[in-house]
Amino acid sequence: MAAVIPLLETESLGKRFGGLAAVNGVSLRVAEGEIRAVIGPNGAGKTTLVGMICGRLEPTSGRVRYGGRDITALRPWERLRQGIVYTFQVTSVFRGLSCYENVALPAQRRLMRGLAGRLALRESAIAERVQAALEAVGIADLAAQRADALAYGHQRLLELAMALATEPRILILDEPTQGLAEGEIERLCGLVRDIARRATVLLIEHNMPVVLALAGRVTVMDSGEIIAEGSPAEIERDPAVQRAYLGR
Amino acid sequence: MSARAPLKVLALHAAVLALLFAAQFALPPYHHTNVARIMVLAAYAIGYNVLLGYTGLMSLGHAMFFAAGMYGAGLPVYYLGVGAAGALGAGLAAGVVLAALFGLLALRTTGVAFLIVSLMFAQAFYLASLYFNEVTLGDQGFILSQRLAPLQAGGATLGFHEPAVKYNGALLLFAACLLVSLALRASPIGRVLIGIRENEERTRLLGYDSFRYKLLSLTISGGLAAAAGAMYALLFSYVGSTFASILFSIYPLLWTLLGGVGTTLGPLLGTGLMFYLVDLASGVTSAYLLAVGVALVLLVLWFPLGILGTVRARWLPWLP
Amino acid sequence: MTFGPHLLLALLEGTVTAFVLAVTALGLSLVFGVMRIVNVAHGEFFMLGAVLAWVCSSAVGTPLGGFLFALVAAPLAVGALALAADRLILRRIEYHPESTIVATIGLLYILQQAVLTLYGPEARPVNPPVYFTLAFPWFGYSGYKLVVAAASALLLGAVWWLLHRTTLGLYMRAAQQDLEMAQACGVPARRVYAMVFALGAMLAAAAGVLVVPIQQAHYLMGLDPLLLSFIVVIIGGLGSLKGTLVASFVVGLSDGIVSVFFSPTLAKIVATLLVAAVLVARPGGLFGEGRG
Repeated sequence: MAAVIPLLETESLGKRFGGLAAVNGVSLRVAEGEIRAVIGPNGAGKTTLVGMICGRLEPTSGRVRYGGRDITALRPWERLRQGIVYTFQVTSVFRGLSCYENVALPAQRRLMRGLAGRLALRESAIAERVQAALEAVGIADLAAQRADALAYGHQRLLELAMALATEPRILILDEPTQGLAEGEIERLCGLVRDIARRATVLLIEHNMPVVLALAGRVTVMDSGEIIAEGSPAEIERDPAVQRAYLGR
Repeated sequence: MSARAPLKVLALHAAVLALLFAAQFALPPYHHTNVARIMVLAAYAIGYNVLLGYTGLMSLGHAMFFAAGMYGAGLPVYYLGVGAAGALGAGLAAGVVLAALFGLLALRTTGVAFLIVSLMFAQAFYLASLYFNEVTLGDQGFILSQRLAPLQAGGATLGFHEPAVKYNGALLLFAACLLVSLALRASPIGRVLIGIRENEERTRLLGYDSFRYKLLSLTISGGLAAAAGAMYALLFSYVGSTFASILFSIYPLLWTLLGGVGTTLGPLLGTGLMFYLVDLASGVTSAYLLAVGVALVLLVLWFPLGILGTVRARWLPWLP
Repeated sequence: MTFGPHLLLALLEGTVTAFVLAVTALGLSLVFGVMRIVNVAHGEFFMLGAVLAWVCSSAVGTPLGGFLFALVAAPLAVGALALAADRLILRRIEYHPESTIVATIGLLYILQQAVLTLYGPEARPVNPPVYFTLAFPWFGYSGYKLVVAAASALLLGAVWWLLHRTTLGLYMRAAQQDLEMAQACGVPARRVYAMVFALGAMLAAAAGVLVVPIQQAHYLMGLDPLLLSFIVVIIGGLGSLKGTLVASFVVGLSDGIVSVFFSPTLAKIVATLLVAAVLVARPGGLFGEGRG
């Protein structure tokens, strides 16, 4: 039996802030092509964990492996170029710029090869990619609007468009449905399923119906550690999870 | 907005340059020299704006780049009899090297810390120019006119004391700096710099090494400032410590804020307005720097976008 | 004079400088530490203190009377001016760090040029309130300078008492540690900010009054104290009373020694580069917060 290397693997990853261990010895394995949900109560360490995966935070212990390679020392922008893309829990778009400009910045990255590519690019090449990303999330008609003039739900979609424009291999979504209305959540789920055909998805969520609908496997965290892992149905039934999180 | 430098932008800039070129035939002598001076100083402000307006880093030390250009051009001419072209190149090189070295050290800091570091380095540079006054002649400075060979162009001799040479030399410099800033703004690099200005962490997470881009921006910014300093020495013949002082670092900040931070033509507007405001004030009182103080406070309180910044926000969103 | 007496002179000068610097820098440090802003006009408050002292001593006949009057009136006047600046300018821009710097640069020029207009470009002397000489075997040393040192020490003690024994001081220290928390506990942030800004200005003005019999009052005299205070505050740590004191002595004494043995310009070059080095090397940014 051939062992398949997981796309993303953390090995006893930990982060201490002073005396507090926000993440403690987390070993996570995500296979290519799956949709993995990470759930847990507030303060469980989910955002800290993915922060270390995408490079925003430096771990105090442990390693991160990607496609078999140790990437613990890789800087955030280098990880992005490897295809590890993170969307923020609190939207972090470029508020003063138009939607087009917001998506153009990530979209142009792959086109910037060599000196010539950095000095001047055909804007039409970038515009194509921007258009594709905006259409994929359904806000192509808002391209000229300023990001801070958008409704909250549309800003979330803009974040997603920016992530798509980078051609991710693994897309990390940090509470993407937070603050969205019912219809918007449904549309987002459809989008995620679409994206999952081309990329691996790591999803932090509080919304249990979304998790049950989308995720292939679920990892449950509490107080910085993994307390359970399994299919959504298994997790729902797990007594430890019920105690820690679902409050039954 | 799909094209980065649409036709109307290019047309506007071409029109401004054409206007400046035509003006030399209509201006009386006093204003003739003034406008020449304004253009060189506006080039300095354009350099400053690359860092502040397009990258979001405020510096209080740009006088050291201007002065590096000035001394870099002036000293070889004064002591070694180097010609204008060589001097210009030397001045530019001095500024670029200084900016790059400074950036490597100082860009670990940001915000107010970066501001103070830039202020301190510039102050050290200024004090050094006073300390080594056997060479630099310190505050008093030195004059280049006897030692600067006139240009030979196509059989004609162009002396640097001639008004036409001063004006067109200044115009050439200004045009070059303006076009550099416009090209930068329209390039993919410019987009990254604006991203860094708006949200540096996000830009890093979108695949860009922000340190490298900030270093590039600072080097270009310092280079433009040094080119202006070198040209100033050659055209107006005077090199002295005052151009390295703190006030001379505050001026481009003021000019840029007034004209419009983050606009290509704002620096020209701000420099010109402030130049004449100070000119008027110094005719009335010896405390003309009061105008500088009041302008800064009013701008910060009520007019942070500056003139062209406000125009862009309200009426002309395509203005680069 | 041989080396030994030179050194003694340098140390004496350095000590006096250090004490006055400590008072001036403390004002800047409190503003930095509590309000998290840089007040570039701080040196001008110092200059105003000196100039107002000249005004007072011209108004009152006797040197001692004029001096005492100045020591009370000048800081109060400058404090009021600072309150006005806080209300009219700083509050409006919400203490935003970079805007505050630009605004206080503007304030610097306004104050400086106003004094130039009203007082003139000359440097004018003020007679010391007490005049006696300490006779050392090698040189005579001005007794008033030691009075300055003593008075500065008293002022520093008074500020310590204010910070650690009064409610206002408690509010200041709380706001410095954690503004949000302090506000949640009922500390009136805006009023504390105004008071801190005024206190900083008053300390600078008091230092100016003390120094003017030694230095002469001149409209440009605020720039050196500003730079030196910067250096002290950044090396000694923002808002730290102890740090400011220690750094003042380090900077004051070494400035004294380098100035006497080498040149004042060289001393300043070394000092400015040292500040830059500290800021660059410090991983936590200006206020010690965040990752570098």
